[in-house]
Amino acid sequence: MATEEKPEAADATKAAAENPYTQHYVVQKGDTLSKIAREHYGDPMLYPKIFEANRDILSDPNRIKPGQRLRIP
Amino acid sequence: MLKRTTWIAAMAVLVLAVACTNQKGPATKAVADAEAALAAFRDDAARLLPDDLSGVDATVASLKDSLAKSDFKAVMAAAPDLSNRIAALRDATAAKKAEWEAANAAAREQWNVYAADLPKMVEAIQSRVDILGKARQLPRNVSQEAFDGAKSGLDWMKSTWAEATDAFNAGNAVDAAAKAQTVKEKGNEVLGLLGLAPAS
Repeated sequence: MATEEKPEAADATKAAAENPYTQHYVVQKGDTLSKIAREHYGDPMLYPKIFEANRDILSDPNRIKPGQRLRIP
Repeated sequence: MLKRTTWIAAMAVLVLAVACTNQKGPATKAVADAEAALAAFRDDAARLLPDDLSGVDATVASLKDSLAKSDFKAVMAAAPDLSNRIAALRDATAAKKAEWEAANAAAREQWNVYAADLPKMVEAIQSRVDILGKARQLPRNVSQEAFDGAKSGLDWMKSTWAEATDAFNAGNAVDAAAKAQTVKEKGNEVLGLLGLAPAS
């Protein structure tokens, strides 16, 4: 089933992609978005922020792969 | 003998009156010329060398006062020096204007760089501050004190950036670029407080 990207998610992705000050993180083995959110934000529940900023490379917040370079807004 | 003395005195008064009348035209013209010469570059001088212009204006006012009192001799005596001072002020204003225009052109180029960069810096910091503001606790590398400092730093950046933009829109690229530079420096400081790396 094709998923339709939400306009606000597309905006967040585009803004983060074009901004040289956006921080990045390369996914390591065993990482989850929650774990990355806890590391960068102090709160694992904020993982959707990372997911929305990476909708161009992530389709499922539960599926990230080692080596992926994620934007951390 | 008395008649002769009276006659001489009368002649002296007449000569003096003629002399004064003869000087009225040149004196009036001298003041008018001075004012016209100043008017040609007054706006630039007022902006670039206001103190020097005030000094020359005071002399012109003094000469106009002498003119009003029919002291044409005083006007004619002071006119050459005033003319020289006006010429010197004109040259100094032209030199200062050329210097200012060169500095402004360089500042405009700097401004273009800042204008493309700083809004993104502010946006990225705002994004991180907003997200951390929703966090139940801060990340290990950000203390509450650092986070509070980042928030106030961000507010300062936004207000100073607005001032810089106003200065640029008013034609003062030099001030605008100087303010933008301070925003950039503060931004780097705030990035550090939030544990973030500089631009990639």
